[in-house]
Amino acid sequence: MEKSLFRYIWTHSRRDQLIVCAVVLASLPFYFMSLDLPRQIVNQAIQGEAFREGNPTAPFLHLTYDWPVWLGGGTLEIFEGFQVTRIGLLMGLSLLFLFFVVVNGAFKYWINVEKGILGERMLRRMRFDLFSMVLRFTPEALRTVKSSETATIIKDEVEPIGGFIGDAFITPIFLGTQAITALLFIMVQNVWLGLIALAVIAIQFIIIPRLRRELLRLGRQRQLASRQLAGRIAEVLDGIEVVHVHNAYNWERAEIGHRLFDLFTVRLKIYNRKFFVKSLNNFLAQLTPFFFYAVGGYFALRGTLDIGQLVAVIAAYRELPPPLKELIDWDQQRLDVQVKYDQVTQHFAEERLGPMVEARQDEEEDTPLVGPLVGEGIRVAGPHGDMIIEGGAFAVDLPASVALISNGGTAASMMARIVARRTTEFSGQLRIGDRDLLQLPHAVAGRRIAYAGVDPILFPGSIRDNLIYGLRSKPLGKVVESKRDMDRRIAEALRTGNPLESISDQWVDYKRIGAKDENDLDRILIDLLERIGMGDTIYLLGLAGWIDPARDSALAGRLVEARQRLRETFRSNGMSDLVEPFDPERYNSQATIAENLLFGVPISDEFKGRQLAENAQFRSAIRRAGLTDGLVRMGLQIAETMTEIFEGLPPGHSLFEQFSFIGAEELPEYQKILRRYARGEGHLRREDRTRLLALPLAYVEARHRLGLLDDGMTDRIVGARGLVREVLEKADPEGVEFYDPEKICAAAPLRDNLLFGRVSYQVANARARVAQAVATVIRELDLLEDVQRIGLDYDVGTAGRLLSPQERASVNLVRCLVKRPDILVVDGALAPFDEARGQQLMQLLLQFFQQQSLFMVLPNDRQAGAFDVQMRFRDGQIIIDNTAHPPLGRAKPGPEAERITGEVA
Amino acid sequence: MTLETEVQSLRQVPMFRDVDPARLKLLAFTSERVQFAGGQRFFSQGDPSDAAYVILDGRASVLLHTPGGDIQVAELGSSALVGEMGILSDTPRSATIMATEPTTALRIDKRVFLELLAQFPQMSLAIMRELAKRLERTNAQLVAQSSA
Repeated sequence: MEKSLFRYIWTHSRRDQLIVCAVVLASLPFYFMSLDLPRQIVNQAIQGEAFREGNPTAPFLHLTYDWPVWLGGGTLEIFEGFQVTRIGLLMGLSLLFLFFVVVNGAFKYWINVEKGILGERMLRRMRFDLFSMVLRFTPEALRTVKSSETATIIKDEVEPIGGFIGDAFITPIFLGTQAITALLFIMVQNVWLGLIALAVIAIQFIIIPRLRRELLRLGRQRQLASRQLAGRIAEVLDGIEVVHVHNAYNWERAEIGHRLFDLFTVRLKIYNRKFFVKSLNNFLAQLTPFFFYAVGGYFALRGTLDIGQLVAVIAAYRELPPPLKELIDWDQQRLDVQVKYDQVTQHFAEERLGPMVEARQDEEEDTPLVGPLVGEGIRVAGPHGDMIIEGGAFAVDLPASVALISNGGTAASMMARIVARRTTEFSGQLRIGDRDLLQLPHAVAGRRIAYAGVDPILFPGSIRDNLIYGLRSKPLGKVVESKRDMDRRIAEALRTGNPLESISDQWVDYKRIGAKDENDLDRILIDLLERIGMGDTIYLLGLAGWIDPARDSALAGRLVEARQRLRETFRSNGMSDLVEPFDPERYNSQATIAENLLFGVPISDEFKGRQLAENAQFRSAIRRAGLTDGLVRMGLQIAETMTEIFEGLPPGHSLFEQFSFIGAEELPEYQKILRRYARGEGHLRREDRTRLLALPLAYVEARHRLGLLDDGMTDRIVGARGLVREVLEKADPEGVEFYDPEKICAAAPLRDNLLFGRVSYQVANARARVAQAVATVIRELDLLEDVQRIGLDYDVGTAGRLLSPQERASVNLVRCLVKRPDILVVDGALAPFDEARGQQLMQLLLQFFQQQSLFMVLPNDRQAGAFDVQMRFRDGQIIIDNTAHPPLGRAKPGPEAERITGEVA
Repeated sequence: MTLETEVQSLRQVPMFRDVDPARLKLLAFTSERVQFAGGQRFFSQGDPSDAAYVILDGRASVLLHTPGGDIQVAELGSSALVGEMGILSDTPRSATIMATEPTTALRIDKRVFLELLAQFPQMSLAIMRELAKRLERTNAQLVAQSSA
């Protein structure tokens, strides 16, 4: 980025700045006309100067132009005007005034909008430029760059810069011309007074910036301090577990408090100084009239200046301060913004950035990475100056499987990172065939080299999104979008230096991995996950996932079929008691009372959990159904039992969370309610009844066994379903999705949709047996793949936290495998697995990579025999051993195998 | 059958005889009532110990796995507590328990049980007393056997 903000602005918005400037200048005559018109209205129309010689009419819109003397003088009459009466002139001039008011307003509107758009565009460009630089941070710089600080910079710190950009050139020009005009006017009236005004202005322009220098330094401090505050807050949040574990709350609180105090001190200094400068400025502005009165009055008394002139000068001076003040404000803003800009550019200093990522890739260079991999004079220094590898040299014929055997130090891992191009902190040469591995274009390296490190980095989104992340190097197909939208999007992108690609285009490179379409890709992903041992997880995630029957109606139909088949299976195998199905006519004793009342799944939050009891519509429905009293009585019984049996458990005990209807912190509240009730039912308040009502809604007779439900009550609840549905549907048609035996319920997970009922709490081992039956039916109806595809939709959460470490590692590996790299570097990616699984996965990877190269960091020699080549590190040297007979019967690829590799890649 | 009747059944178990009624209610509430069909196993020998059971209704036999097949060593009826040793000593199941007829039992989850013990010393004491009594009985049996 340019060092100077103004150069940056000028380079990227020259054209727009000039256009707005031109319009500003063009608007000036109109502005002056509107200033002049009131005088004309008063003098000519109202006081009647135009009619002084007894003329009944005067010309209106009489346009003339006086030629300057050096062109010979004379007057050119452009338009002789309309002859109008006094009233006519008044009306005409007034309307003209109105016209100029409108024109000035229009100019102002246009200029403001254009300035705003200009600023927004530049803001977009700047943010994008900065983000592009984020992608270019070198691995070394990334060790010191804090993500949250960078985010604050791009989001917050450049915001005021964007706001300033619209004013960067236009304001000084506009205000400057105004100020100069006024100053010239004074000069023409009296040179001395003009010089005095000029002198005071000069003082203002010299002293004020000097005073502001300190202000700038403080501003810089403030910016850094607030940025670090944002960084610190993010750090605490990221490491919150350590804070909890070590009870460091007080320390962190004090730490942040201290930072806030420092920030406050800096801000206070800024505040004081700012207003001191402001008042000094005001004083200087008032000093000039003092000179005018004193000096001008002296001249007037001496007779060298007439009174009229003095009054005119003072009047003109009154016009001078506003633009001057604004100009000084603008200057202040300029310095402010320049400081911010400098801080931003420092964060993105050139030395922290790697080379520009080339957008276009060289197709001819893109050939498989095979042939001799030769390293020469490789030197890697450790963080404390020790040499990890010194003068290392090796040669390996690729494709091959290479075990990088750790010597307990970091050498093996460093070597893996070098091969995967993950570090530039080494010297020496690494060539593959006749190409320098480090000089390979990013596009080629990105598709042909994969690296799976210790830390499986996942982005929020579905498992599928994460798996295909490596297949999205460029858009391959266009999605049809409306011409107008596309033109607008592309035009804006061009104006702001943003990319032209749309994210809705088809980015996934299906051909590269041999897939025909989306479904085929899913099949490949599932197959890989299956082989890596995550098939069951994906299946389970699929069962817990949701389907959209509107989008996939065929699948919805088959699931309803599976639901019926499952029911038949239960019936024929004597398993009917395992699942109690949802029946519109019967009470489901394995489900909560709320579920029995709704007979559906709440979508909107107001119908979920306890909120349901607070919902006015729902309450009115159960009141009309005559259920309220019964439910409140049940609530009382539950409250009584809970307060009895959970008393004495410390708050926060896990049994509370797991079993109690009432949270520990609510217990005293309910005890109060019970005491009020003991004094008589009339003492219960309205909100007491609501709170009591909430309790039985979560009650499941079969599970909680408090014996609260009799047949009469269950019948009444079933009878109320129609009424509840009617009322809730009227209140919010999207609030609850009601069960229908013939339809898929989109709000319920797939598993519930298949069962369409609740698994019995009473039958031993029911859950496992039901799960087995479900799995059998899914296999029989050939639904397994569909279920797993739904599993691929599972959201992995922030940094994949919703997955287990093993699952995260699996996703990370499959993400590498799916792009079929020529070289896969595995550096600790198998760490989360136990030894047996790790070994299995290693064998699997070796099988996968029979035709390609696999580099794997191993902790010791034990499994190294399975690899073609063993690379050891001793005293900074690299030692290569070749396995004589590769155990997997790996055939060195002949020309034919190479051809296949080429096709695949 | 409701929570109250389960509490009555728990009271019949020697180990829980001295435990406070409110605690027994909590124990019952945090347990699950499950039904076993005749021939269905509570658990098998060698399984990890994850729960103890109190038979509320029905009968179950205790089977030991031998090279010659499973042999029945005991039969359990109402109010019998089974599987508690495994969850206390954290060892795998030492025998197989199989329902001989449709049987209802209260399943006490290991984690919940241990938490209750940790929380209420009075409960732990009652358990210890019962274990001590058992040890005493075993000693007495040993003495009787060796003297016989």
